[in-house]
Amino acid sequence: MIKPFSITAWVCLFLCLPACMKYGPSAEEEFDVSGKGLFIINEGNFMYGNASLSYYVPGTGKTENEVFLRANGINLGDVAQSMQLYDGKGYIVVNNSGVIFVIDPVTFKVTGTITGLISPRYIHFISKNKAYVTDLYAEKITVIDPLACRITGNIPVKGHPSTEQMVRYGNKVFVSCWSYDNMILVINSETDQLTDSILVASQPSALQIDCNGKIWCASAGTLYRINASSHEIEKTFPLSGDGLFSRLCLNGARDTLYYVNKSVWRMDVSADRLPVKPFIEYDRELVYGLAVDPVTSQVYTADAVDYVQQGVVYRFSPQAVPIDTLRTGINPGAFCFK
Amino acid sequence: MKKSFQALFSAAVLFLAFPVCALTQERMETRQLDSIRITADRVLKDMGIQKTVIDTLALRESISGSLASVLTQNSTLFIKSYGRATLSTASFRGTAPSHTQVTWNGMKLNSPMLGMVDFSQIPSYFIDDAHIYHGASSVQVSGGGLGGAVTLSTRPAYAEGFNTEFVQGAGSFGTFDEYLRLNCGSSRWKSSTRIAFSTSKNDYRYVNYRKKNIFYDPQGNVTGFEYPVEQNKNGEFRDLHVLQEACLTSRGGSQWGISAWYMNSTRGVPLLNVDYKENNSVKSTQLENTIRTVTSWQKLLEQLKLAARAGYTYTDMLYLYRRGLGNGEWADMVHSQSFVNTLFAQADMEYYLKGKWMFTGNLSVYQHFVTSMDRAVVSVSGQQAIAGYEQARMEISGFLAVKYRATDRLGLALNLREDLYGRELAPLIPSFFADYLLSKKGNVTLKASVARNFRYPTLNDLYFMPGGNPLLKPEQGFTYDGGVSFAIDRDYLRANGEVTFFNSRINNWIVWLPTFKGFWSPLNVKQVNSYGMEAKAWAHVLPGKEWNLILDGHFAWTRSINLGDPVDWSDQAIGKQLVYIPEFSGAITGRLRWKNWEFVYKWCYYSERYTTSSNNTNTRLGVLGPYFMNDMALERKWYFKRADLSVKGTINNLFDEEYETILSRPMPGINFELYLGITPKFSSIRK
Repeated sequence: MIKPFSITAWVCLFLCLPACMKYGPSAEEEFDVSGKGLFIINEGNFMYGNASLSYYVPGTGKTENEVFLRANGINLGDVAQSMQLYDGKGYIVVNNSGVIFVIDPVTFKVTGTITGLISPRYIHFISKNKAYVTDLYAEKITVIDPLACRITGNIPVKGHPSTEQMVRYGNKVFVSCWSYDNMILVINSETDQLTDSILVASQPSALQIDCNGKIWCASAGTLYRINASSHEIEKTFPLSGDGLFSRLCLNGARDTLYYVNKSVWRMDVSADRLPVKPFIEYDRELVYGLAVDPVTSQVYTADAVDYVQQGVVYRFSPQAVPIDTLRTGINPGAFCFK
Repeated sequence: MKKSFQALFSAAVLFLAFPVCALTQERMETRQLDSIRITADRVLKDMGIQKTVIDTLALRESISGSLASVLTQNSTLFIKSYGRATLSTASFRGTAPSHTQVTWNGMKLNSPMLGMVDFSQIPSYFIDDAHIYHGASSVQVSGGGLGGAVTLSTRPAYAEGFNTEFVQGAGSFGTFDEYLRLNCGSSRWKSSTRIAFSTSKNDYRYVNYRKKNIFYDPQGNVTGFEYPVEQNKNGEFRDLHVLQEACLTSRGGSQWGISAWYMNSTRGVPLLNVDYKENNSVKSTQLENTIRTVTSWQKLLEQLKLAARAGYTYTDMLYLYRRGLGNGEWADMVHSQSFVNTLFAQADMEYYLKGKWMFTGNLSVYQHFVTSMDRAVVSVSGQQAIAGYEQARMEISGFLAVKYRATDRLGLALNLREDLYGRELAPLIPSFFADYLLSKKGNVTLKASVARNFRYPTLNDLYFMPGGNPLLKPEQGFTYDGGVSFAIDRDYLRANGEVTFFNSRINNWIVWLPTFKGFWSPLNVKQVNSYGMEAKAWAHVLPGKEWNLILDGHFAWTRSINLGDPVDWSDQAIGKQLVYIPEFSGAITGRLRWKNWEFVYKWCYYSERYTTSSNNTNTRLGVLGPYFMNDMALERKWYFKRADLSVKGTINNLFDEEYETILSRPMPGINFELYLGITPKFSSIRK
């Protein structure tokens, strides 16, 4: 017979089991990185909240990962979509967190937060006091005051729940309508009114405007060149088979267009035909991000590997010669040059 | 003692032989049966099988508990839970949720669209028996259980006349639970109605360490910060379950039964703690209506058991992601709906020959009709269109088994299963089992099994729009395990335990990946080697007069390693543990009884989990720290002439831990529940 006092021993045994979890605030680090650099925006995984910001100084071979979290002690959020630098501040749009963080690009410290958004995608600056924010679901373009970090209004875009990338020509802002849509909207940036729309193929996403005032739009299997003055489609470049355009970029002079169709391709903006030979050939990996340095015309491509581990960014010379390889955060999808 | 032991052994044999409605046991008898798992190991039907029987006491622990919490505490399954009353899926021996097959009264619960089961949607109070079949042993239940299988069963309680039970609970975060059971019957027929209703605001508060309220001076310099105290947003839920069962024994000895289970669930999908949106700006809701019915027939002859089942499942699931329009109205952003209709039929046969041979065969047929649609605006004129698919698929599974008790000590079994899905025939699934009684003293038994297995792609894998891949191959598994079990029975101590080592390899593991076309699509890309050890122990100690101490512990060491081909040279995931699979996990439950008091203490542990496939530890978001949880409960019962009463209080998260089990999903701190139960004694009242 076990003696009754052994019950106490059993209870004590339970109470001795380990019980303390490691969880709490993240420590902050100090950064001071003036000079040129490249922000790499890592989307992270949808609903994981593990988006991050990497910072790379070209030529040093050095990449700092999770700089937003390390500098501020808080997470960047869920699905970091894009980043723009304007007037000495960095604006990071975090899609599924519904927030835009304003950071100091030298210290990476948060200097402001813009909330009240649904599913923001891209930010486009009209002036010091006005910027447009597109949204995946809101059926409107939100107008914000970036200095005051507050929403000042919105531009209803009925029937277009998903607005995506923006380019400006004079006082006209062209907006692609991506998810389940087939339109490019034209907004008057002085009156904040929708003035026109351009019909294209399904799911237009990437937009660029070249040195000749021509808008380039990637929409499914077709590349469009649109006259920004007349809003007329001047030229279409259809792809055969199951090809798909994505990730349009221009060099600093805005006279050379780069795009992804499995491989990375490059063409002169005055060309009448698509190139026949890829600029950087890919057959197995998916190019998850593309950027061209506006000063050096060096090309950066991102590889998300298996989408649940640190991605890789490759840096190429303007002649497509590999220069550097960076290990970043999860799903590096966008870049921002400082 | 020996006589009663033999009687219990006989009862166990009968119980295991006639699982469906045949011999309904009074609850107290069920508890006793659970304690004699020692002898059940030698039952011919379970020869060589690695099986865990969930204690009825654990299933009846709380009317607010789901099977997810019961499996976490009482088995070696790792339940990946996204929070309170949110998606909870099982990882069995390091495999994916769709690799655990789950049945209720013989009918599969796995969604034909997703392949998995949400255990948070199964109230544990409804379940009368829960058995877990590990690895190769799952082939006996179903194909496709590359990790294992869980069988659940319900049946009308033993009842002569009419009796009822009512339990009401109230807890933290505006949580209210009601449970009502009505039983009536005679020696020939029985009927049981169970109703469970749970509702909760689920708005627990937590300190959000993922955000900061930063304070600035007029020049824009930071002057300070605080971590905001936030509420769990959009986490409210309301679940209703109704289970009606009846069974009848005909004069000819046939047993007929019917079970119908209706579920209506409305659950908010909580916002992440990195989400800056507010409750009034977006709302994410999952609504589900499900009805499952199973009718059964069974005939017992001297050496032969014949059984047949037919069933039907209807599920209507709607996921809504809406935005507030500012005037109290909401507009849909995502409107994703699915309808599943499944017809089911099964025939079983068991034949016993000379007490040494057992031949088993069964044939099951499922016919699924699935409609999945995502309503979306596709034009400027506001036209709506459906993106989705509509598919039907028949799944047929045939099973043959022969079990042979070669000697008193040695038992052997050979199983063969063949699955047909749509027009595709899966390769034959053979499995072999053996057990050997090493020592009668202590019932030390060696067990071993080996099996091939296959899991065919789900309908979403094949047909989802966009991205479904009709060219997918079935996932192939090969698994073997071996272990030893023991059981002892003394006047003051009964105990049993088991240690099992396992190794399995799964090829053609299906993973959804982005494509250059812009959407995700499933591919057969991964090879996974899962190996490790499972241990469990149970002891019932009688420390003194009217004192009972029951201890139940489970421990698992699981290495689930990605052995696929690298995506490219930079792929660092090869040879690494799969995401969110803990290498070590364990749980201990202690139950101390004195007279009409019961004190329960539960402790649960997982080791750290990686959130990246490369197991990256040099990032702050790559690892979730080890998990420790402590819960306790105290219950007092009163047995009056006209009714039995009970009062139970529980404390969950005893040490008020702040934690996340999944990235960005904060969990509740210390919380409390109080339950009042009443079981009227109508026969006494009438007198």
